[in-house]
Amino acid sequence: MKTFEERWTAWLDDQLGGKELVEFEASLSDKARAHAEKQGAHKLGALLKDHFGADVLNNEEFFSHQIRERIRRESEAQERAAFGGARSAWWSIRRLALSGVTALAIFAIFAVVVMREKNPREQSEYLTQILNARVDPAVSPNATISMFETKKDRVTVLWVEGLQSLPADYAAK
Amino acid sequence: MRAEATPAQADVSDLDLVRQCQTGHPEAFDELVTRYRTRIFAMIYNMVHNEADAWDLAQESFVKAWRSIKRFRGRSSFYTWIYRIVMNVTIDWLRKKQIKGAGVEFDESIQLKEIDPASKTAPKADPLPHTRMERSEIRARIDEAIKQLSPDHRAVVLMKEIEEMQYHEIAEALGCSIGTVMSRLFYARKKLQSLLRDVYENV
Repeated sequence: MKTFEERWTAWLDDQLGGKELVEFEASLSDKARAHAEKQGAHKLGALLKDHFGADVLNNEEFFSHQIRERIRRESEAQERAAFGGARSAWWSIRRLALSGVTALAIFAIFAVVVMREKNPREQSEYLTQILNARVDPAVSPNATISMFETKKDRVTVLWVEGLQSLPADYAAK
Repeated sequence: MRAEATPAQADVSDLDLVRQCQTGHPEAFDELVTRYRTRIFAMIYNMVHNEADAWDLAQESFVKAWRSIKRFRGRSSFYTWIYRIVMNVTIDWLRKKQIKGAGVEFDESIQLKEIDPASKTAPKADPLPHTRMERSEIRARIDEAIKQLSPDHRAVVLMKEIEEMQYHEIAEALGCSIGTVMSRLFYARKKLQSLLRDVYENV
């Protein structure tokens, strides 16, 4: 349903027709005044057209030139931004790889140092032999072997008690 | 972008020129600027009543159109489409100016102070061709009357009366319904008729 304003506007612009026009004109209480308003609106339109139609754009070519320049500058800026973006992405990939390699190198150095620290340095050959030796419980039922070691001074003391005989394969060199 | 469009482009339709723009041919956009620059400048000038501001706003509108031309799908004419941009740019500017001016929107002294000397302004051109005193006076009356309309009402009445656009075209350009356009036209005309009755009755 059109409002009165919409129908009035359409009527002024001769956009109402048929039944709608008849109905609208019938609804006007003061037809003479309405027609005067319509005529006034047409005169107003003509006045506006007459006075506003004369406006011209001076320096038309300069106007276009300025737009061309702005567009050119913007396009160049966009291209630079796109190139810069690609370059920064490349740098980040390179940085990532470099960081990876550095991290691996640090890990390798650390691993070597720690592993070396963890490994016993020089274990006594005798101690190894004795520890590896089987003490026969039948021969030496009460044998006890205690070991005291001071790594700092690289000294190991092996305290053996109740040993009846040395293992047969004991062979200290 | 070339300085001049080729003569052949003068025969090309707006839609074809838009398609060329969309495939990266700025010279096609140059032709579109040539086709519409005068009308668009005049339309903006009639809304803002200042040549330098109209120049800047028209430039801004065209540059915005260029930036978004890839999104133009051809559902409306290029003219209607660019008018929408023009109206958005101009009405936004008028609203900001109204807020800034706090009701003294078109005070000339304020207007002069607000123009940044480094802004993108046109070189001072010769005065507009309103040389005859009588016409100047009438024009001043009309301008004063138009200034009293809200930006939306100004846009509607100028598009209808000067550009002779259809209701649906105005609605499309302003992004509102046809009913709103007709309603705004009703109030804008009423206001102008009350302000300019003695002028148009005596011309």
